[in-house]
Amino acid sequence: MDAVTYPNAKVVDFVTSKVVPLRVPADAQPLSSDFKVTWTPTLILLDYYGKEHHRTVGFLPPDELIPSLILGMGKADFDTGQFNDAIVHLDELLANYAKSAAAPEAVYLRGVSRFKSSHDAKPLKEAYEKLAADYPGSEWVKRAQPYSLL
Amino acid sequence: MITWETELSKALVRGQAEKRMILLDFFNPG
Repeated sequence: MDAVTYPNAKVVDFVTSKVVPLRVPADAQPLSSDFKVTWTPTLILLDYYGKEHHRTVGFLPPDELIPSLILGMGKADFDTGQFNDAIVHLDELLANYAKSAAAPEAVYLRGVSRFKSSHDAKPLKEAYEKLAADYPGSEWVKRAQPYSLL
Repeated sequence: MITWETELSKALVRGQAEKRMILLDFFNPG
Protein backbone atom coordinates (compact mmCIF):
# COMPACT_ATOMS: atom_id res chain seq x y z
CA MET A 1 0.00 0.00 0.00
CA ASP A 2 2.84 2.38 0.86
CA ALA A 3 4.78 1.68 -2.33
CA VAL A 4 1.96 1.72 -4.87
CA THR A 5 -1.47 2.76 -3.67
CA TYR A 6 -1.06 5.55 -1.14
CA PRO A 7 1.37 7.62 -3.26
CA ASN A 8 -1.01 7.48 -6.24
CA ALA A 9 -2.28 10.97 -7.10
CA LYS A 10 -5.93 9.90 -7.50
CA VAL A 11 -5.83 8.06 -4.18
CA VAL A 12 -4.26 11.05 -2.42
CA ASP A 13 -6.93 13.33 -3.86
CA PHE A 14 -9.79 10.98 -2.95
CA VAL A 15 -8.60 10.19 0.55
CA THR A 16 -7.74 13.75 1.48
CA SER A 17 -11.02 15.14 0.15
CA LYS A 18 -13.52 12.41 1.11
CA VAL A 19 -12.45 10.71 4.35
CA VAL A 20 -10.43 11.26 7.50
CA PRO A 21 -7.39 8.97 7.16
CA LEU A 22 -6.28 7.20 10.33
CA ARG A 23 -3.36 4.80 10.53
CA VAL A 24 -2.35 2.62 13.44
CA PRO A 25 -0.01 -0.36 13.83
CA ALA A 26 -1.78 -3.71 13.74
CA ASP A 27 -0.47 -4.49 17.23
CA ALA A 28 -1.84 -1.29 18.77
CA GLN A 29 -4.03 -2.17 21.74
CA PRO A 30 -6.86 -2.04 22.54
CA LEU A 31 -7.78 -0.97 19.01
CA SER A 32 -6.47 -4.09 17.29
CA SER A 33 -8.41 -6.39 19.60
CA ASP A 34 -11.49 -4.20 19.52
CA PHE A 35 -11.62 -4.52 15.74
CA LYS A 36 -10.41 -8.16 15.72
CA VAL A 37 -7.48 -7.44 13.41
CA THR A 38 -5.34 -10.47 12.63
CA TRP A 39 -3.73 -9.60 9.30
CA THR A 40 -2.49 -6.58 7.40
CA PRO A 41 -3.38 -4.50 5.62
CA THR A 42 -6.84 -4.33 7.17
CA LEU A 43 -8.81 -1.30 6.03
CA ILE A 44 -12.00 -0.37 7.85
CA LEU A 45 -14.42 2.39 7.03
CA LEU A 46 -16.04 3.87 10.13
CA ASP A 47 -18.73 6.46 10.50
CA TYR A 48 -17.85 9.37 12.75
CA TYR A 49 -19.43 7.62 15.71
CA GLY A 50 -16.84 4.87 15.32
CA LYS A 51 -19.18 2.26 13.90
CA GLU A 52 -17.77 -0.07 11.25
CA HIS A 53 -19.55 -0.27 7.87
CA HIS A 54 -17.00 -1.80 5.51
CA ARG A 55 -13.80 -3.82 5.77
CA THR A 56 -11.18 -5.22 3.40
CA VAL A 57 -8.15 -7.37 4.12
CA GLY A 58 -5.18 -7.49 1.76
CA PHE A 59 -3.53 -5.22 -0.77
CA LEU A 60 -5.69 -3.05 -3.00
CA PRO A 61 -4.27 -1.23 -6.03
CA PRO A 62 -5.39 2.36 -6.62
CA ASP A 63 -8.15 1.45 -9.05
CA GLU A 64 -9.61 -0.92 -6.47
CA LEU A 65 -9.14 1.11 -3.30
CA ILE A 66 -11.20 4.07 -4.47
CA PRO A 67 -14.25 2.05 -5.53
CA SER A 68 -13.97 -0.01 -2.37
CA LEU A 69 -14.19 3.17 -0.31
CA ILE A 70 -17.13 4.45 -2.35
CA LEU A 71 -18.85 1.11 -1.78
CA GLY A 72 -18.20 1.52 1.94
CA MET A 73 -19.80 4.94 1.88
CA GLY A 74 -22.83 3.49 0.13
CA LYS A 75 -23.01 0.71 2.70
CA ALA A 76 -22.92 3.26 5.51
CA ASP A 77 -25.81 5.13 3.89
CA PHE A 78 -27.68 1.86 3.45
CA ASP A 79 -27.04 0.77 7.04
CA THR A 80 -28.50 4.02 8.31
CA GLY A 81 -31.56 3.96 6.06
CA GLN A 82 -30.37 6.74 3.77
CA PHE A 83 -31.20 4.84 0.62
CA ASN A 84 -31.18 7.74 -1.81
CA ASP A 85 -27.69 8.74 -0.63
CA ALA A 86 -26.61 5.13 -1.02
CA ILE A 87 -27.88 5.14 -4.60
CA VAL A 88 -25.86 8.29 -5.34
CA HIS A 89 -22.65 6.67 -4.07
CA LEU A 90 -23.31 3.40 -5.88
CA ASP A 91 -24.16 5.20 -9.11
CA GLU A 92 -20.83 7.03 -8.82
CA LEU A 93 -19.00 3.76 -8.32
CA LEU A 94 -20.66 2.07 -11.28
CA ALA A 95 -20.20 5.09 -13.55
CA ASN A 96 -16.48 5.37 -12.88
CA TYR A 97 -15.30 1.94 -11.73
CA ALA A 98 -17.57 -0.56 -13.47
CA LYS A 99 -14.70 -3.01 -13.93
CA SER A 100 -13.63 -2.96 -10.29
CA ALA A 101 -14.07 -5.85 -7.89
CA ALA A 102 -16.50 -3.72 -5.88
CA ALA A 103 -18.86 -3.22 -8.81
CA PRO A 104 -21.00 -6.40 -8.55
CA GLU A 105 -21.78 -5.77 -4.90
CA ALA A 106 -22.62 -2.18 -5.82
CA VAL A 107 -25.13 -3.38 -8.43
CA TYR A 108 -26.74 -5.64 -5.84
CA LEU A 109 -26.85 -2.99 -3.13
CA ARG A 110 -28.13 -0.34 -5.52
CA GLY A 111 -30.99 -2.61 -6.50
CA VAL A 112 -31.87 -3.22 -2.88
CA SER A 113 -31.56 0.49 -2.08
CA ARG A 114 -33.89 1.34 -4.95
CA PHE A 115 -36.36 -1.22 -3.68
CA LYS A 116 -36.13 0.10 -0.12
CA SER A 117 -36.71 3.68 -1.26
CA SER A 118 -39.57 2.87 -3.66
CA HIS A 119 -41.08 -0.41 -2.39
CA ASP A 120 -41.16 -1.42 -6.03
CA ALA A 121 -39.68 -4.87 -6.69
CA LYS A 122 -38.65 -4.01 -10.23
CA PRO A 123 -35.17 -2.73 -9.26
CA LEU A 124 -34.40 -6.07 -7.64
CA LYS A 125 -35.05 -7.94 -10.85
CA GLU A 126 -33.11 -5.31 -12.81
CA ALA A 127 -30.17 -5.79 -10.45
CA TYR A 128 -30.21 -9.53 -11.07
CA GLU A 129 -30.40 -9.03 -14.83
CA LYS A 130 -27.48 -6.59 -14.80
CA LEU A 131 -25.41 -8.90 -12.64
CA ALA A 132 -26.17 -11.88 -14.90
CA ALA A 133 -25.30 -9.86 -18.00
CA ASP A 134 -22.27 -7.88 -16.83
CA TYR A 135 -20.82 -9.93 -13.95
CA PRO A 136 -21.83 -13.55 -14.66
CA GLY A 137 -19.00 -14.99 -12.58
CA SER A 138 -19.75 -12.94 -9.51
CA GLU A 139 -21.06 -14.39 -6.28
CA TRP A 140 -23.58 -11.54 -6.31
CA VAL A 141 -25.40 -13.16 -9.24
CA LYS A 142 -26.08 -16.11 -6.97
CA ARG A 143 -27.21 -13.86 -4.13
CA ALA A 144 -29.60 -12.06 -6.47
CA GLN A 145 -30.88 -15.25 -8.09
CA PRO A 146 -34.25 -15.20 -6.25
CA TYR A 147 -34.99 -11.80 -7.76
CA SER A 148 -35.03 -13.37 -11.24
CA LEU A 149 -38.42 -14.85 -10.29
CA LEU A 150 -40.03 -11.50 -9.51
CA MET B 1 0.91 12.76 0.22
CA ILE B 2 -1.69 11.55 2.67
CA THR B 3 -1.41 13.03 6.15
CA TRP B 4 -2.65 10.39 8.55
CA GLU B 5 -4.22 10.85 11.92
CA THR B 6 -2.75 8.48 14.49
CA GLU B 7 -5.41 8.52 17.23
CA LEU B 8 -8.97 7.29 16.84
CA SER B 9 -10.38 9.89 19.20
CA LYS B 10 -8.94 12.74 17.17
CA ALA B 11 -10.06 11.17 13.90
CA LEU B 12 -13.64 10.83 15.19
CA VAL B 13 -13.73 14.45 16.32
CA ARG B 14 -12.44 15.53 12.94
CA GLY B 15 -14.92 13.24 11.19
CA GLN B 16 -17.82 14.77 13.09
CA ALA B 17 -16.62 18.29 12.32
CA GLU B 18 -16.07 17.58 8.63
CA LYS B 19 -19.02 15.14 8.23
CA ARG B 20 -16.71 12.51 6.82
CA MET B 21 -16.15 8.82 7.36
CA ILE B 22 -12.90 7.54 8.84
CA LEU B 23 -10.58 5.29 6.87
CA LEU B 24 -8.84 3.19 9.50
CA ASP B 25 -5.74 1.43 8.19
CA PHE B 26 -4.14 -1.20 10.38
CA PHE B 27 -0.63 -1.59 9.00
CA ASN B 28 2.21 -4.00 9.65
CA PRO B 29 4.65 -2.23 11.99
CA GLY B 30 7.44 -4.55 10.82
